[in-house]
Amino acid sequence: MINNFVFVALFLLGFYAILVKKNLIKMVIGLNIMEGAIFYWFITLTDRGGLIPIVKSSQVVNNLNDPIPQALILTGIVIGASTSAFLLTLIIELNKFTNSTNPDQLGGMLED
Amino acid sequence: MSTSLILLIIIPLATAFAIPFVDIFSNKARKYLVVFTTFLELFILVTIIFNNYSSILNGTLFLKYYMGNWIPPIGITLVMDMLSIFFSTMITFAMVFIVIYSIGFIGHHEGKYYVLLFLIWAAMQGIILTGDIFNLDVFLELLLITSAPLVAFKRNREGTEAAIKYMFYGTIGGLFVFIGVVLVYFNLGTLNFAHISQNFNSLSFFIKKMISIFFLLGIFIKLGIFPFHFWLSKAHSACPSSISALLSGVIVKVYIYVFIRLFWNVIGFEVLIENGLDKVILIAALISSIIGHIMALNEDDIKKMLAYSTVANLGMIISVLTLNTKLAIIAALLHVFGHLLMKISLFTTTGYLLQFTPGHKLEDLKGVAYKNKLLFIGFIVAAGGMIGLPPMIGFSSKWYILRAFINQNIHWGSIIIIVGSVIAFVYYIRFIIYGFKKISIGPPEKFRLILSVFYRERVVTDIAIFFAVAIIIAGIFYKIALIPINGAAEMLQNPYIYVETILGG
Repeated sequence: MINNFVFVALFLLGFYAILVKKNLIKMVIGLNIMEGAIFYWFITLTDRGGLIPIVKSSQVVNNLNDPIPQALILTGIVIGASTSAFLLTLIIELNKFTNSTNPDQLGGMLED
Repeated sequence: MSTSLILLIIIPLATAFAIPFVDIFSNKARKYLVVFTTFLELFILVTIIFNNYSSILNGTLFLKYYMGNWIPPIGITLVMDMLSIFFSTMITFAMVFIVIYSIGFIGHHEGKYYVLLFLIWAAMQGIILTGDIFNLDVFLELLLITSAPLVAFKRNREGTEAAIKYMFYGTIGGLFVFIGVVLVYFNLGTLNFAHISQNFNSLSFFIKKMISIFFLLGIFIKLGIFPFHFWLSKAHSACPSSISALLSGVIVKVYIYVFIRLFWNVIGFEVLIENGLDKVILIAALISSIIGHIMALNEDDIKKMLAYSTVANLGMIISVLTLNTKLAIIAALLHVFGHLLMKISLFTTTGYLLQFTPGHKLEDLKGVAYKNKLLFIGFIVAAGGMIGLPPMIGFSSKWYILRAFINQNIHWGSIIIIVGSVIAFVYYIRFIIYGFKKISIGPPEKFRLILSVFYRERVVTDIAIFFAVAIIIAGIFYKIALIPINGAAEMLQNPYIYVETILGG
């Protein structure tokens, strides 16, 4: 039960950073916190308290943790890393044009 | 098992990674490689269509490919049914024209451009063919992260800002889809579409609602439907015109495909109805439609105007889909087809015409029709289709949409669509009239050779004429397009066929 609360708290924290912070890099950090919240939640939800794969074929195991969430989260981490790397590149590029990392210069995130 | 399905994804993916190596040796070889791959992909798709000609006519096409020979529900399954082949064909033909158009157009950083273009192509084919929900999520992220560099391709301030916005919205949308995937896997222990669909009704009411809401949020953010439409106009207008055509004409159609596949095949539309979400979608989409038209009317910049018109048309397609009758699905898919043709035509012709003008504003386009009359006729035909004038495909699809609304007794919906068409008439006719205005004091010929170095005039004009003819022919003989659409609508009405065919062997 506590993992749900932690997930919601972390997710909203990241969302708060995106909505309120006046620095694009902090907004990217907020995005990463949101991603991390989901990964944490998924890993704790599917944890059965068993042995962690990979297991040797000779080993006899009664209680084994599900290996699929690991694979999914690993993919998710790679996606998140590449997304934030590219966003940071864009922010550097924007900084070259305007000398600032304030999101208000985008005309506000919630305006066209 | 049909191996050609995996080839449809692998060929563009492999080309994307081969281009940088070929680029080291010669630029000319890269050009030949790009054209060769494009036609190879087209050839494979046409082979699939010809080999299964009779089953397409019957509407019973069903091809499968098990990755690594894992029988579902364990492995990743690639599936091609009537809906997939309809979208896959549209996208392949559209990409062929976009690649041909790009060859004379881009002129700088061409190697990087084609790498990204082919990665986008692979991602789109992957989304359309996959039968696995996490694989879908990965391909969605791949589509986002490969299309965002193209938004910033002009490397100016405007493009960078648009790309940052696009990335933020797209990533948050992707996170919501990922939460949906997590909830599905935790509650059902499976990622296969058919297996999820089979067991979905065993879930509790609350979980079903949460999963639907998260998927809906993700797809709506990525599509730019009403509360999240802020990023779309900037992103779709800040890039070179070939990419605008790709984003506005093709990529949004892929998101519509995801919407249809998830909410008809995987989750099931009854879940949305029992949660009362279908009315929410209908209202949001109709608001999006009317807002898009009004914003387009306010806009002086021609590319932003076209982008807002995309918002409006997407709203229209989504709203008619939520009526969930066979007629409504046929209408929506027909408009997807028509909008793809018309938007690509509008953006490609606009991109050519804009090289003669000092800017993108309405006044700058004065007298642009006299630069290339045949091409401007193409622009007029496509604009007429967007308004919904009779011989074009836009008329037949809007006719179907109105019929679907009236059959369900949602008259205010049909009124919104008619009002939208009238507004569209106003904002397109402005540009056409300005295009024909003679300039009395001849200003110097301003060729803006900043970005678009060479357009091959013949090629671009031929593409414009081809699209104009295609729009009119599709408008007259739209019954031919209805063959696959009918099959797809039939299949979406009976989602258990999909489940049985995949899990049954």
